[in-house]
Amino acid sequence: MSVQSLAFSPEQLAEVRRLQALYPDPRGALLPVLHMAQDTFGHISLPTEEYVAGLFDLSPAHVHEVVTFYTLYFRAPKGRHVVAVCHNLSCYLAGAPEILAHVKRRLGVEPGETTTDGRVTLQSVECLCACEAAPMMQVDDRYELNLTPEKVDRILEGLH
Amino acid sequence: MPKLTINGKEIEVPTGTNLIEAARLAGFDVPHYCYHPALSIAGQCRLCMVDIEKTPRPTIACNTQAAEGMVVHTETERVKEMRRSMMEFHLINHPLDCPVCDQAGECFLQIYYMKHGLYDPRMTDEKVHKPKAVPLGPHVILDAERCILCSRCVRFCDEITGTGELGIFNRGDHSEIGLFPGHDLSNKYSGNVVDICPVGALTDRDFRFKVRVWYLDTAKSICPGCARGCNVDVHVNRRRPHHDGGRRVARLKPRFNADINRWWLCDDGRYGFGSVDDPDRVIAPARREGGAAREVSWDEAIAEVAAALGRVRPDEVGVLASARMANEDLFALKTLAAALGITRVAFAVPPAMPGDEDKLLIRSDKNPNTRGAELIGLGGEARALLTDARDGRLRCLWVFHHDLLASAWPAGETRAALERLDTLIWSGTNAGATSALAHLVLPSAAWVEREGTFTNFEGRVQRFRTAVEPLGAARPDWMVLGELLGVLALDGGGATRAEHWFQRLANAVAAFTGMSYRTVGDAGQTTRSPS
Amino acid sequence: MAETVLMRNFARADSHTLASYRAHGGYAAWDTARQMEPAALVDAVKASNLRGLGGAGFPTGTKWSFIPKNHTGPVYLVVNADEGEPGTFKDRYLLERDPHALVEGMLIAARAIRSAVGFVYIRGEYVEPWRRFSSAVREAYDAGLLGQGFDVVVHRGAGAYICGEETGLISSLEGKKGWPKVKPPFPAIKGAFGQPTIVNNVETLCCVPPIVERGAAWFAGLGTKTQGGTRMYSVSGRVARPGVYEAPVSVTLRQLIFEHAGGVSATGRLKAVVPGGGSAAILTADEVDVTMDVDGLKNAGTMIGSAGVIVMDESVSIPEALMVLARFYAHESCGQCTPCRESTGWIYKMLHRLVEGHGHKDDLDTILDVAKRGGGTTICAFYDGAIGPYISYIEKFRPEFEALIPRA
Repeated sequence: MSVQSLAFSPEQLAEVRRLQALYPDPRGALLPVLHMAQDTFGHISLPTEEYVAGLFDLSPAHVHEVVTFYTLYFRAPKGRHVVAVCHNLSCYLAGAPEILAHVKRRLGVEPGETTTDGRVTLQSVECLCACEAAPMMQVDDRYELNLTPEKVDRILEGLH
Repeated sequence: MPKLTINGKEIEVPTGTNLIEAARLAGFDVPHYCYHPALSIAGQCRLCMVDIEKTPRPTIACNTQAAEGMVVHTETERVKEMRRSMMEFHLINHPLDCPVCDQAGECFLQIYYMKHGLYDPRMTDEKVHKPKAVPLGPHVILDAERCILCSRCVRFCDEITGTGELGIFNRGDHSEIGLFPGHDLSNKYSGNVVDICPVGALTDRDFRFKVRVWYLDTAKSICPGCARGCNVDVHVNRRRPHHDGGRRVARLKPRFNADINRWWLCDDGRYGFGSVDDPDRVIAPARREGGAAREVSWDEAIAEVAAALGRVRPDEVGVLASARMANEDLFALKTLAAALGITRVAFAVPPAMPGDEDKLLIRSDKNPNTRGAELIGLGGEARALLTDARDGRLRCLWVFHHDLLASAWPAGETRAALERLDTLIWSGTNAGATSALAHLVLPSAAWVEREGTFTNFEGRVQRFRTAVEPLGAARPDWMVLGELLGVLALDGGGATRAEHWFQRLANAVAAFTGMSYRTVGDAGQTTRSPS
Repeated sequence: MAETVLMRNFARADSHTLASYRAHGGYAAWDTARQMEPAALVDAVKASNLRGLGGAGFPTGTKWSFIPKNHTGPVYLVVNADEGEPGTFKDRYLLERDPHALVEGMLIAARAIRSAVGFVYIRGEYVEPWRRFSSAVREAYDAGLLGQGFDVVVHRGAGAYICGEETGLISSLEGKKGWPKVKPPFPAIKGAFGQPTIVNNVETLCCVPPIVERGAAWFAGLGTKTQGGTRMYSVSGRVARPGVYEAPVSVTLRQLIFEHAGGVSATGRLKAVVPGGGSAAILTADEVDVTMDVDGLKNAGTMIGSAGVIVMDESVSIPEALMVLARFYAHESCGQCTPCRESTGWIYKMLHRLVEGHGHKDDLDTILDVAKRGGGTTICAFYDGAIGPYISYIEKFRPEFEALIPRA
């Protein structure tokens, strides 16, 4: 991704301004705009952080603080899909360690890694608050519930 | 003005005073890391907890304002136990770097552990590892493992310099102070973060590994870097001369002055003391005859100055004083000029580069005593002196401290003017192109090697004190001028201390009336306005 | 059979739409509330004994009354939809299945505290709930319910449990790291963007329309003497029917496990229960005859918190369960203040080592001592939540921990 492309379109910039105007202090729009940047550029690189800092008149260090604090911002390129397996208490009680082990075997990666074909980034995460349907994982935007190894296989096969 | 009781002592404090400051006013120390009077309240270290009656749990003192009738206890068993707990929390992941850490001896983990900790450590797991020895810019180096994440440095760069270079990244015990990757800690006050860092996380690159702090001696002084006159402490290393190539001045630290520099010092001032111990220091009087310079005694040198002055008329003598000279030096010079009828006196030579200035401390006038020189009446037209020398109307010129060939004056014309003189006398500390042309070179004691006073741009007279002995045969300018007055049998001889000259100055110049070293003290004293 | 108040609309497939909500009495409470004075609304909620349902259990009406009367600037209503407490999922259901209940609750609350802007902070992982709720907000704007003196800004989080702490949420809303703020000042005095702010949980606000419509006395009468109403209990772990169950707050833990959730699964023998989300002190099998209200559990030495009930049967390793939670606290500590930042990581290391069979004989006492020294000393209650499990699991199941430590 070339540096020149690391800029929002005029329509997106208008959206940034619209978001900034929603908050008493425009800085309130930082998290939403970082989500926008990630959706647009795939992940949040250091040049992206500097670009966003410029849109907010913030020092890049303070944008970097925000990006490194929250878990949903990817600082390196991620796979086309993100699979986040919950490993907190209720999922653990429902067999999350075995599900995670199964996913690791199927994908051939450890949590934090991306498959070599760029298809899936695997994460092992804290409570996603779907404990009634444990064990579960989040695949991109949706929750996949009541997992079994077979269900996991079907889900992973559907990810291209 | 609320009245409250601290450890049984009743005290009245200004409204809005927090309990750390109130306790300080009452004579009690409340240990703390993240609190700093110049910065916003962080409330992060949790070390400053105190017991307040009617409050069920100990409360942090930094974020609690003194209230009427409050009863505070800072030394209960519960508070002491809490301090011991906080010391343990702070040291859980702290590396045992004391043997290699510059902060040793002035480190508040050490100091507070000895005073408030003294527990047996029980952390046997692997500590969290973070980057070590990371340069943050030209002056500061970071050890992220040592950092206690008090955030003082982050708040300094946000609130004092407004530059925001530093942040705390990640979260939990992987939190880390740092710069935006690839950026520099490039503001002009970066050295201050080393002062306010309570531990050895941020240390001085210039001072790194030079000498252990317990070998340093200190003297109160004034930075001569610009007309602001920031208060400093000069830290000298006399006891370990085999360190740092024998350089005597180890570092400067700002000294708090509520009216001038508060807690801060700019980087140019902080790191500008090197010339004092540079190899180009002029340390003995010298006469140049033909091409070669010959070292002479002070007696011979002073005699030669007297003879040179005697060979010409007073109107053929020019004196280029300097705003780097102390009030005492300038008044001695004024006395000499008046006694000899020398009227061609000036001091303001334009610098090659215009000085930078900002809204914080830095003044564009890079001289510490311009105001003093003006008030003492040495302000003439310096350019006219150069023209007079160039055209042969001046035959003897005495230059104090300037390297005229490095100024804004055209080098060719300046050199021609200097070479045309019968006698060029140069007094100063470090050799340069002008001293190389001088017939007589007189070594001046540097600002750390003598005492005296400077007058800052606001008319504030401030004392600076001797930190080290003069190098070689160097002498304060007032002493050289006094000896010359003595040799010429003029009034003004006999002064054995700078203070004598200051007393004469106070008696003679209206702006300084009533002043003495005692009244100037350590906080300074403002000159009187012309009435 | 107890009343279904909060979950009354869940059974309908289109319950999230304005049309469905309205068709079943939705926004009638708002019509009533618009005719009432703000002070009367505050009094009604006070009289209802509604207590905060996000975790702290603070009386909601009292919280609303903390807004300074003479404040002339903006007042902000902030909805805490950053559900993250392990074992809790009730707000997710409300956002997905009855988003208009929240909108209506916000309208009434905003009127009570004289707020013109409400921010809804939804955890970043809740994408579908965010879409559902945003859609409901759009419907409400189109219908003229919003935008007539009250605006709603929907704000997605980005992954940090600490943003569920009310001032951590405020910091995040302001575009910063989710660092909780040093108190005082408290949010009602100086909160989001420096203005008086009320932060309320999703479920708490969903109680407000029923209170206005059916009366404070009715709501108070559903519960105990000190807490009114029903609430949604999230039940998970080793139970036959994990799910969300609404019951009056006077329900007992035993009833929730054995009547609502179908009893203990796996071995079928109850060993321990977490009654109020991961941060609540654990209860043993013979401690389940407690009422699941704020004071009932406080008196039992634990807390109702977010009402996340996690059931453990005899086959569960308590040390492993604690290690799982300790890993959570170490990961979610924001790092701002020293006791929490340094000891959550250390305690997790010790528990991990213990579970792996490399524990030292002093480790348990070290963990207990460190936890107790840090309790009550931090900027926010996150650490107090962490030490709930650290202390109660070890103190109540100590032999099980000691069994893992190799004999010297």
